[in-house]
Amino acid sequence: MMLLRLISWPYARKHLLRWLLTLTGIVLGVGVFVGMHTANQSVLAAFHETIDRIAGTTQLQVTAGEPGFDEVVLEKVQALAEVRAAAPVIEATVGTDTGNVLILGVDMLGDRSLRTYDFEGTDAAIDDPLVFLAQADSLIVTRTFADKNGLKLNSRVPMKTMQGDLVFTVRGIMKPGGLASAFGGDLAVMDIYAAQKFFGRGRKFDRVDLALADGVTLEQGAAKLRTALGPGFEVEPPSSRGDQFEQTSRAYTLGSNITSVFALFIGMFIIYNTFAIAVTQRRAEIGILRALGATRAQIRTLFLAESAVAGIAGSSLGVLFGIALARGMSGYIGGMLSEVYGVAQHSGELELDPWLLGGALAMGVVTSLFAAVIPARAAASVDPVKALQKGRNQALTERENRVRRWWALVCATAAGVALLLSNNSVMFYAGFVLSVIASVLLAPTLTLWLSHALRPVLSALRPVEGTLAADSLIQGPRRTSGTVAALMLSLALVVSLGGLSRSSFASLSEWMTTALNPDLFVTTGETLTSRTFVFPALLGEGLRKIPGVAELQMVRSVRVTVRNAPVMILAIDVESLEKRTGMRPLEGDVRTMYKQVARGEGVLISENFAHLRGAKLGEVLEIPAPTGMLRLPVAGIVRDYSDQQGSVLMSRERFIQAWNDDSVNIFRIYLQPGADEAAVRQRILDAYGKTQRLFVLTNSEVRQYVTRLTDQWFGLTYIQIAVAVLVAMLGIVNALTVSITDRRRELGVLQAVGGLRQQIRHTVWMEAVAIGFIGIVLGLALGAVELYYALGIARRDMIGIDIGYSYPVGVAAALAPVILIAAFLAAIGPAESAVRGSLVEALEYE
Amino acid sequence: MSRKLIPWLLLAAPLVAQDARQIIEEVQRRQRSESQHYEGTLEVTGGGNRIATKRWTFDRIGSFGSSKSILRFTVPAEVKGVGLLIVNHPERASDQWMWRPAIGREQRIALQDRSTRFFGTDFSFEDLEERDVAQFDFKLLGDEGGVWKVESTPRKSSQYTRSFLWVKKENYTIVKVESYNKKGLLRAIDYRDFEQVKGIWTARTTEIQDVPRNSRTTLKYDKLEYNIPLKDADFTLDALRRGT
Repeated sequence: MMLLRLISWPYARKHLLRWLLTLTGIVLGVGVFVGMHTANQSVLAAFHETIDRIAGTTQLQVTAGEPGFDEVVLEKVQALAEVRAAAPVIEATVGTDTGNVLILGVDMLGDRSLRTYDFEGTDAAIDDPLVFLAQADSLIVTRTFADKNGLKLNSRVPMKTMQGDLVFTVRGIMKPGGLASAFGGDLAVMDIYAAQKFFGRGRKFDRVDLALADGVTLEQGAAKLRTALGPGFEVEPPSSRGDQFEQTSRAYTLGSNITSVFALFIGMFIIYNTFAIAVTQRRAEIGILRALGATRAQIRTLFLAESAVAGIAGSSLGVLFGIALARGMSGYIGGMLSEVYGVAQHSGELELDPWLLGGALAMGVVTSLFAAVIPARAAASVDPVKALQKGRNQALTERENRVRRWWALVCATAAGVALLLSNNSVMFYAGFVLSVIASVLLAPTLTLWLSHALRPVLSALRPVEGTLAADSLIQGPRRTSGTVAALMLSLALVVSLGGLSRSSFASLSEWMTTALNPDLFVTTGETLTSRTFVFPALLGEGLRKIPGVAELQMVRSVRVTVRNAPVMILAIDVESLEKRTGMRPLEGDVRTMYKQVARGEGVLISENFAHLRGAKLGEVLEIPAPTGMLRLPVAGIVRDYSDQQGSVLMSRERFIQAWNDDSVNIFRIYLQPGADEAAVRQRILDAYGKTQRLFVLTNSEVRQYVTRLTDQWFGLTYIQIAVAVLVAMLGIVNALTVSITDRRRELGVLQAVGGLRQQIRHTVWMEAVAIGFIGIVLGLALGAVELYYALGIARRDMIGIDIGYSYPVGVAAALAPVILIAAFLAAIGPAESAVRGSLVEALEYE
Repeated sequence: MSRKLIPWLLLAAPLVAQDARQIIEEVQRRQRSESQHYEGTLEVTGGGNRIATKRWTFDRIGSFGSSKSILRFTVPAEVKGVGLLIVNHPERASDQWMWRPAIGREQRIALQDRSTRFFGTDFSFEDLEERDVAQFDFKLLGDEGGVWKVESTPRKSSQYTRSFLWVKKENYTIVKVESYNKKGLLRAIDYRDFEQVKGIWTARTTEIQDVPRNSRTTLKYDKLEYNIPLKDADFTLDALRRGT
């Protein structure tokens, strides 16, 4: 403690900026990791909480994918002796004037045996149960929702329904807590039969919630139900719904995990680098302490204690920063997941996982300690006289370089071998990690080589300043290489994600041109992914008669569990699809496959379904439907981006037969030649817009929507990239600050012999820009490798689509000036510090 | 309420009843009619002594375990047209469907929901069933000054574990019922204002109390008639939908 107070504290005060930079590195490294994970966890936790609160005492739920099932299933469930109570449910997320509200359609007669409705009022019941059931516009709202919207009993609530905008009446208000807290309190309860009518569900239920009779175990009950209902039904505890959503959104979770771990890795690197520099830089001080009698153990303890203090302070602040970051991001993530997956999300309170926070804190502290251990041990063991010699430790010995190069070669070779065996996922990821390690190990050598290469260029630009700047880089590779490595990793991340984004956009654009080629799309919502409402098939007949309409395709899209994953079933008029889009298969005979599917004797599967689920051409696919298990061979594999988990395309007739559901999600309309798009759109709206919830989107609007969604998808990635670059910039500032401190005497001498302040500035600026340049060269090169792996990860574990490799030249070109300018800006402060210091002090230094 | 609303109590028996089953069978015999019609006024007194008033019309064809009934709300306007069709079966629980004109469809009342309160009254859907005498076990508990006290225990699924019935010796009318579940007394029913209609002793007022909720419902009968001409076709799902 005494050493900390007498040695470390004065040093920290004197070099406050450097300590702040170190702390900032830790804060950012820990903060981004905590922020990303906490925001993700909070959104998923809110989803789970909504499920739990809605479930009440429900033990099992019967579902049959998104299409739901006929009412008769309820009677089958209720007839079983193992079932004590069973109640049907419909869920729909509906827009109101103040945002979305989750509508829970229930049978108020039987639902109370599963859910507790705690109503306000002396009657402790809805205002009048008979009126509630007799009037289809009846609504029970939560106190939270009522307060938010200024509602009381008999207030009117406008809502968007399948029959257009309708006004509902509040006939009950639930007290906060329990069910009323689901979906953040934005919940309303409606009679299920009214909900069927208003949300176009026909005579179907989304699911049946049930409680088992006394003495019946979950396993017994589930087995009995499965036997009674057949293979088209899933019988699971309520919690499995949350698991299913997690499975649906696993591509997002995996992607965000990879990038946040990468950001953390960069953060750790910066932490390590700043500590290593700080410790190394104080070797002279260590020498003095050793000369004064301090033991090696004391020196080691001192530096470890310092790093622990910095680690604790920085990590604590990092955790707080991460929480603040999560607060800002959770709403965005919730909205994005709702749009991408068509499952309403509500970002509730932040879900702070003590394990995650503790882990992040520990990670920050351990990294700081680890960063200090090796330099501190080296410093403590060095001869005091040598320790007092300036600059010796900034240079890397040839032996050190050789060892690193050998290790880099070993890692690179191992990465190459892993690449050859990359059919195995473990080998593939091992190859990725090894290639990154190899590049980090090579960074000092490459930095040195590039510094040598840059020397003549810099000298040509500014003979004195350029030479000094290049020499500084050459003499202090330990100081520079860490920063360059961090910059390299950041830029490689930017390049790989930018490349992934660019390649995805290119593939998506190609698919949109081929598959999304109708002139108009008639949908039930502004978003194409929302499947809350459906159209009756009859509407299609009316739309066909609209003047200007040449052809119409009815599309039903539902998520169904196939091969243990929730995939999208697309039911469409296949012959029309073939005629209009002529999508070429990746596998399969284009002459026969459409006809086979049209006859209901096969399905087309998307490329990503084939990759992610291991499905092959000709293989028989088992698809559970309420009427029984469908067994259809794979007639062809096509590129389709409809769903991240993959899609299965089948004939509409086959779907109707199997699901007893002829409703429609989207009408795809092709216009007659010469027909005016705007005029036809208006005719549709005039004919049906007032009686039906209906949106008519043009082809360009749909393309814009898909592009916006993709932008949103990559939006968070861009935030992470920005933070990673910021962390790297901090590294440059730190490296330059150390560089200037290191060279104070040198710079002082330069001034004493007539060097101008401007020359000093130029030297520092050039050194910074040179670091930036080297970082760019290495970063863009490593980015090329990482992009290869990013595309591989996307294909293997995220979206299952083979996206072509396309190096983001534009991104790289944009990055270069940004980094060079940022490096220059980072140098301004240190340069000013170099020229404004006292010349006498500078000459006295050391 | 007509005793058709507590019909499992209305069971026929030989003339001179000495044991419990005979007593109940005699009650049923004296209550037997081919059809029935009345207009009922319901007053539900809930928490804070708030009173809600509703009216319905009630028609029944057949009697006891094989009868069919249709009940339609007429007042207030918000609930007008809501109907309930009950088809009783001698060997099992009844089938019940509710008609809701606002959404234009009927809804089957599941067996598991029969213990639910009937539209906010203190009756449950089960209380509207007619059950055959064979679906209960009876035990004569005593003779309380002109009134028999009989215990009935359902043989099949019911929300009640047992009930106590008080039968007036003079005219074999049930004057009081107490029904219990596992937790204790659930409902208490008093029959009042008896008068003879076409030779059948009939209560003109029924008061039912939901003991745990501490609320009560009073039903008064107007325009009560027995053995009027009604058709089977008026007691079907189509008829329920038609609202005739």
